[in-house]
Amino acid sequence: MPSRDFPGTVEAAADAEAWIAGESGELGLASDTTFAIGLCVEELFLNAVKHGHANKATISIWTEPDGARIRFVDDGAPFDPTTTPAKRLQEPGPDFKIGGFGVELVQKFSRRMTYRRADGANHLVLEFDFGLRNGSGAGAIPA
Amino acid sequence: MEMNVTETAEGVTRVALDGRFDIAGAQEVDGRFAELAETAKILVIDLSRVTFLASLGVRTLMLSAKTMTRRGAYLAVAGASDGVEKVLRLTGFDELVGLYPDADRASAALTARAREFDSRKE
Repeated sequence: MPSRDFPGTVEAAADAEAWIAGESGELGLASDTTFAIGLCVEELFLNAVKHGHANKATISIWTEPDGARIRFVDDGAPFDPTTTPAKRLQEPGPDFKIGGFGVELVQKFSRRMTYRRADGANHLVLEFDFGLRNGSGAGAIPA
Repeated sequence: MEMNVTETAEGVTRVALDGRFDIAGAQEVDGRFAELAETAKILVIDLSRVTFLASLGVRTLMLSAKTMTRRGAYLAVAGASDGVEKVLRLTGFDELVGLYPDADRASAALTARAREFDSRKE
């Protein structure tokens, strides 16, 4: 199973995303699945570093008969995206607030999320379909 | 990410992006978008060659939208792929800015809207 450690820096988010895109290609995943996985990795990484102050993140990717999986482990502050309310633009107008969309995107681009906190780290497993899918949202199950 | 800016005879500023609009891509174009949002009257952002969009890319687009809305200027996005469009809709960006199939249609729509507004002022 391909797995790699990344330092907890904003700059490493781009490295993580490039690495996961390469591994998704090696696994022969469809372009929309690769898109979804790359997006989730970037959003999780930035959340862990900017808000959780993580020093390290470990990302793994593999496939099961019913789809692809990634495991994202970070040593930042406890954060369970399966129970965090999604956020999108509220009350569009001249003074609308920008930001905080990452969790919404992770929830909607993955099929299912499983979270647990163990050994001082956040452990999140995301599931993805193999190909194009039109579903609208993850069935989030806290571990 | 590459960013190519052109001006049409109708006064439309077209920005064609090429590449991944991720954290690295957003950092590359943030400054130029901020300048364009302060100066352009009609801005069409062509995303047809953008293969990936994450929340920091959306943030760049939303900052431009916020600036241009305050200035009374016009902004549209064109040519988004399925994945990119899904990101724009999930974040609510489509409630701020019109999404068009291609840059020509976006330019025509915004030019017509600007003319209509100008004629009302006269």
